[in-house]
Amino acid sequence: MLRKIIDTVDKPSQSTAKVAVLNTAEKRSDEWSLLLIAVGETRDRQAFAKLFKHFAPLLKSFSEASRHQGWYPGLSEDLVQEVMIKVWQKAAGYNAEKASATTWIYTVARNCRIDMLRRKSNTQHLPLENEDYWHEPDEETPVTLLRQKRNGDKIQESLAKLPKEQDEILRKVYLEGKSHAEASQELGLPLGTVKSRVRLALQKMQILVSPEFQEELPHE
Amino acid sequence: MSNQINFHPDRSMLVEFSAGTLETALTICVSAHLHFCDQCRSELLSLDQLGSQLMSDAKPSDIDESLLDTVMAKIDEAELAQVNSKGSARVPVNEKPSSFPFSVNKLIESTEHSATWSRLNSSLDIARLKTGQDKFEVALHRLCAGGKAPKHDHQGIEYTVVLKGSLSDERSVYSEGDFLVRQPGDIHQPMGGQNSECICLSALSAPIKLTSPLGFLMKPWLQIRPM
Repeated sequence: MLRKIIDTVDKPSQSTAKVAVLNTAEKRSDEWSLLLIAVGETRDRQAFAKLFKHFAPLLKSFSEASRHQGWYPGLSEDLVQEVMIKVWQKAAGYNAEKASATTWIYTVARNCRIDMLRRKSNTQHLPLENEDYWHEPDEETPVTLLRQKRNGDKIQESLAKLPKEQDEILRKVYLEGKSHAEASQELGLPLGTVKSRVRLALQKMQILVSPEFQEELPHE
Repeated sequence: MSNQINFHPDRSMLVEFSAGTLETALTICVSAHLHFCDQCRSELLSLDQLGSQLMSDAKPSDIDESLLDTVMAKIDEAELAQVNSKGSARVPVNEKPSSFPFSVNKLIESTEHSATWSRLNSSLDIARLKTGQDKFEVALHRLCAGGKAPKHDHQGIEYTVVLKGSLSDERSVYSEGDFLVRQPGDIHQPMGGQNSECICLSALSAPIKLTSPLGFLMKPWLQIRPM
């Protein structure tokens, strides 16, 4: 399926294909993305206040869910502050073609959370901030953008329908911040079971590109 | 960057990368692979969407009403400080081609006294990178065109990402962006591609074991030094 898209998108000249994709893709028009664009372009403080009102409580809840080693409740409000400051400072770099405001703010929060933990637990100087690892090429390819647009709604819809045991593991991994190995210890399940539950969930949500793609992996 | 990439990190590594629970050294390797791999980057975007959906679905917590003012005050303070100290120019310290991943170039730059090559044998150089963790030795390896690394076994796990050129071993040929995993018992002898030098990023959790009879002569191979 993806192979087909790659073929049709890549074969004609790259630039005309790209224009076609961007024109047909629906524009991002949700309230939060528009507000974030306003903050980035005009330093709009009212728009920022609205974003804050919506996202600060979600970010706090995200922080409170953390079960990382070394995390304590007092850090939750610090994280909210740090993330919202970064949102203001980095809003100009937000690209609405690539991600919704919610996804973009999630990635800022995840990176801040890791950096806070690293700073707390590490006496060594850390050369990079976590967001450095997520630095993407300036221009995404049409394939990536197209896939991304199709997926947002599907993920939301299919997440709600996951079996409880798959949903539970995803929450452990994303919200509590447990590695697969830690999740397997906690749930008393073999590591392979944890990995396959995650994989099943991702397949149901169509996040994994294709079954053929997995078979190319070197066998572990 | 879109050449054909055949070897990708395991999907569970990509999930941990997206959730932010992957170890630093492996985060560096996955990040280097993503720089080259459109497919994995596209999956990562979806995984990040999943993360943001999980975050949005949670029950919002109460926020102190004064917090917005606190945050605005800090923002203003930071902007003022920035205006007052126009940053000093940084001097580039090493060869950092723009085709390299951003994170790798930043590591090269921030390794004290700059990352420097040291010779391991006539065709192989190593430059260790400072990463602030002590589980893996993270380093660049440079293999000259057609050059051979000594045949070796692994005592720990070794992750390698090809950054430039190509290399081959008994199993396959690997080119830019390919992500290799070698475990104890995987004996191989990497060889640089014939036409140009090959540069790789690697993370190694324990020293390799040379399988040639004179291996003991090559002391630098017998230890890892994470930094």
